[in-house]
Amino acid sequence: MSASTPGTRPTAAATDDPVVWTAPPRPPLARRATRWFRDLGWRYLVIAAALVFALFPAVWVLSAAFSPSGSIAAQTLIPDPISTINFEQLFATNFWRWFRNSMIVAGVTSIGSVFLCALAAYAYSRLRFQGRRMSLLALLLLQMLPQFLAIIALFLLMIGIGRYFPELGLNTLAGLIVIYLGGALGLNTWLMKGFFDTLPRDLDEAAHIDGASHAQVFFTLILPLAAPILAVVTLLSFIVAINDFIVQSVLLTDDSQYTLAVGLYRFIDEDYGARWGPFAAGALLAGLPITVLFLYLQRWLTSGLVAGAVKG
Amino acid sequence: MTVDQAPTPPTERRSTRRSMDRALRDGRHPLNRFADSLSGLLIKLALLGAVNGLGIAMVLRLVALDGPWWAIASTVATTLLLDWIYLGKTKLPLKYLIPGTLFLVVFQLFPFVYTFFIAFTNYGLGQILDQDQAIERIERGSIQALPDAPRFDAVPFADGDDLALKLTDPDGEVFLGTPDGITPVEDLDTVTDDDRLVEIDGYERLSLGAAQDRIDAFTELRIPVDEGEIELTSLSVATERAQTRFYDPDTGTLTDETTGTTYVPSERGRFVSEDGTETLSPGWRVVVGGENFVRAFTNEAIRGPFLRVLVWTYVFAAASTFGTFALGILLALTMNDARIKGRKLYRLAMIIPYALPTFMTALIWRGMMNRRFGVINDVLGVQIPWLNDPTWAQISVVLVNLWFGFPYMFLICTAALQSIPEDLYEAASVDGASGPSRFRRITLPLLLVATAPVLVATFAFNFNNFNVVYLLTGGNPPIAGAATPAGHTDLLITYTYRIAFESGGGQDFGLGATIAILTFVLVAVMSAISFRFIRPLEEINE
Repeated sequence: MSASTPGTRPTAAATDDPVVWTAPPRPPLARRATRWFRDLGWRYLVIAAALVFALFPAVWVLSAAFSPSGSIAAQTLIPDPISTINFEQLFATNFWRWFRNSMIVAGVTSIGSVFLCALAAYAYSRLRFQGRRMSLLALLLLQMLPQFLAIIALFLLMIGIGRYFPELGLNTLAGLIVIYLGGALGLNTWLMKGFFDTLPRDLDEAAHIDGASHAQVFFTLILPLAAPILAVVTLLSFIVAINDFIVQSVLLTDDSQYTLAVGLYRFIDEDYGARWGPFAAGALLAGLPITVLFLYLQRWLTSGLVAGAVKG
Repeated sequence: MTVDQAPTPPTERRSTRRSMDRALRDGRHPLNRFADSLSGLLIKLALLGAVNGLGIAMVLRLVALDGPWWAIASTVATTLLLDWIYLGKTKLPLKYLIPGTLFLVVFQLFPFVYTFFIAFTNYGLGQILDQDQAIERIERGSIQALPDAPRFDAVPFADGDDLALKLTDPDGEVFLGTPDGITPVEDLDTVTDDDRLVEIDGYERLSLGAAQDRIDAFTELRIPVDEGEIELTSLSVATERAQTRFYDPDTGTLTDETTGTTYVPSERGRFVSEDGTETLSPGWRVVVGGENFVRAFTNEAIRGPFLRVLVWTYVFAAASTFGTFALGILLALTMNDARIKGRKLYRLAMIIPYALPTFMTALIWRGMMNRRFGVINDVLGVQIPWLNDPTWAQISVVLVNLWFGFPYMFLICTAALQSIPEDLYEAASVDGASGPSRFRRITLPLLLVATAPVLVATFAFNFNNFNVVYLLTGGNPPIAGAATPAGHTDLLITYTYRIAFESGGGQDFGLGATIAILTFVLVAVMSAISFRFIRPLEEINE
C-alpha cells in the first residue's frame, strides 16, 4: 500500500518504505513529478486556494487602512504611498470612546457571566436536588433560543425600566450588561459543569471533613482548580459581547454611548464610498486584539467541543 | 430540596456521598460551622445587606415615581426570597443557582413571555404608551398660548442654578414663579433696596447682562399654573399658555375647549372626533387579539414576503451548514498528511476568518462586493451585481457565510478525523477497499456521527444569523409589493428587526413580535428533534 493514503499513520508506512525507496531503477523525472502531484502537490494547491480565500479580506482591509485615500474606488492592493491619513480621520470621530465602551461592556459581562455560570455549574456538578435534570435540559433549550429573538420585548422592557431607573434603561452600558448577564447561563454552564465533574470529589469531601464549608470549598478549592475553564468561558463571553450587534444597535442611541459594533456601523453606513479607508483603519485597530485573543483561545474551544462529541 | 430519587448507587463512595448530602440537609454536617466562622458570616451579611439596601432603594424610587404596583411587589418579593434563601441553612442548591437564574428570568424568560403579549396588541410607533400616559401626553401637548392669555412683566431672579421670575400680572399683583409654581410675593421673605425688590425667598435679582448670559435656561423655564404654564417670551415679558384639551374620566372622552370638539376613544387605541374626521396622537396600545397572526397569514402583501423569508431562512441555514461542512472536510482531509510542511501555520492562517469580529468583516465584504468599486469585480474584470440582484445577493450571503463558517468546521473535522481508529483503515485496506470507498464507508459516516451535534448547532445558529445578513445586505434587495420591509436575503430574525425598528416599516412591534413567536416555535421544534443527537444528554445523571 502506498503511504500517501489519507489517514494512514506514518509509522504504518514504515514497513512499506524499503519497497518504495530502495527499489531501483528510479522512475523517470516526469513520472515522479506526476506521482508527487498526485500524492502531495494537489494538497498544496487546495491549501493555497483556501489561504487566498481565507486571508484576502484581511489583507485587503490592511491595505485599505494604509491607503492614501479614504475612498473605496481609489484603493490599490499596495498603498502608494503608505499613509496614516485614514487613522487621523478615524480619530476625529468618537472611535476611542466606542472602543472604551465595548471594553467596559464586554469586560464586565464576561466576568459577571463566568461567576454566575460557575455558581450554577457547582450546584449541578456537586449537589443533587429535585428538578436538576429538568433545569439542565431547559438551559440547553434556552441556548437554542437566543435572547435576541425577543429583541422587541427587550427594547420595550428597557423603556419601562428606564422610566424609573434611568441609569439602567435605554442608552446605558449598564442596561446592556444586565441583558447580557441574562444570557449567561446556557451552554457555558454545561461546559463548566463538565469540567467540574472531572475534578475528583475526594478533594471536596476531604475538605468537608476538615471542617470547610461549602462556600469555602467552592471559592478556595474548586475555583482555583477550574482556572482553565474559567479563562475559556471568560474569553468566550467577551468575544460574544464584542460581536453582538442587534441588541446594541437597538439599545444605544447616543454617539457617545455607542460600542465599536454600532459606532463603526453607523459611521460607514452614512457614506460607504468615502469612509471606507477610516473604517478599515478602525476595523484593524478593533479587530487586532480580538483576533489575537481568539487565536490564542481556539485550541481549547475545539478540543472541549470535540472531546464531548467524539468520545464513545 | 430533596435529592433525586435515583437508584441507590452500589459503591460505598456514593453512599457516603448520600449520607453526606443528607447530613448537609439536616444541618448536622461540619460544614455548617461556616455559619460560625466570623469572616464568612461577615461577608455574607455584608452582601445580604447590600442586596436589601438595593431592594429598598428600588422600592423607594418606584413609590416616589408612582410606579406600577406589580413592580413594587415583585421587588419586595425578590428581596425577601433572597433573604430567605441565604439566611436559611437548607437551601444549598438554590444558593448557587439563584443569582444566574434571577438574571435569566428577568432578561430572557420574561422577554419571551412578553413577546407573546406584544404579538396580541397593536404596539407600534404612535401606540407605545398605555392609555393614561397617552391622555397625559395629549393634555400636555395641548398647552398653547391663547389670544387672550394674560401677560406678565417678568424680572429674572436666581439662587445659584435655580431660576425664578418675579411676575407682575395685569392687575399689578406680584408673584414669584419657580418650576414648582407661583407664590404671591407678599407671603415670602423679601429684601428691598431703594424700593426695588433685590431678593425674594433667597433668590437674588439678576442684572440684565447676567440674565442674558443664561437666556437659554430662562427660556426653558416652565412655571406651572392651573391648567397651563407660564413661560418667557422675551427677557421682560412672560405669557401664560393654557391647556386646551381636557379628559373627562366620567365619560371617558376628551374635549377641546377652544373648538368644542369631543373626542371618543376608539377600539384601535386612538381618540377620534365624533364625526370621525380627526384623530389625536399619540395613541395607546390595545389588545387586538389574533389580528397580527391573521394579517401574517392572510394579507397577501404580508403573507407573500413572509413565506419567502421563511423558505429562504431554511435554505440559507441548510446551504450554510452543508457548505461549511463540505469545505471543512475537504480541507481537513487535504491537510491530514504528515508530509505537508508548515501544517500548523496553515491551520492558524485558515482560522483567521473565524477570529475576526463578524460585525467588521461583514461590512468589509460589503465593500469588496460593491458592484462598481468593489475589488472582486475589479480583479475578475466583471460587473456582477453581487448585492443588488436577488439571486446574486442570495449567493453572496451564502458565500460570505461560507467564509465565516468553514474554519470552525475545518477545526472540528480535523479533530474528529484524528479520532477515527487507524485499524479500521488497515482492515479496509486488507479487504481491498479503494480510496473513495474507504471515504464513503468509513470516514464520512464516522465524521457525521462525531459532528452531528455541531451540525445541528450550526444549523440553529445560522437560522438566526443576524450579523452576516443584516450587515452585508441589510436583507435587501427588497421584495416587490411587500407591505413591510422585506428583502430577498432577509432571515426571520432580520425581518423581525426591520419590521420593528426600521423606519418606513411603521415600527410595527405587534407584527414583529408575531414573526418572532413563529420563529420561537420553529426553533423550539427543531431543537426538540435534534436533542436526540446531542450526546452529553446521556451523561446528565452522572
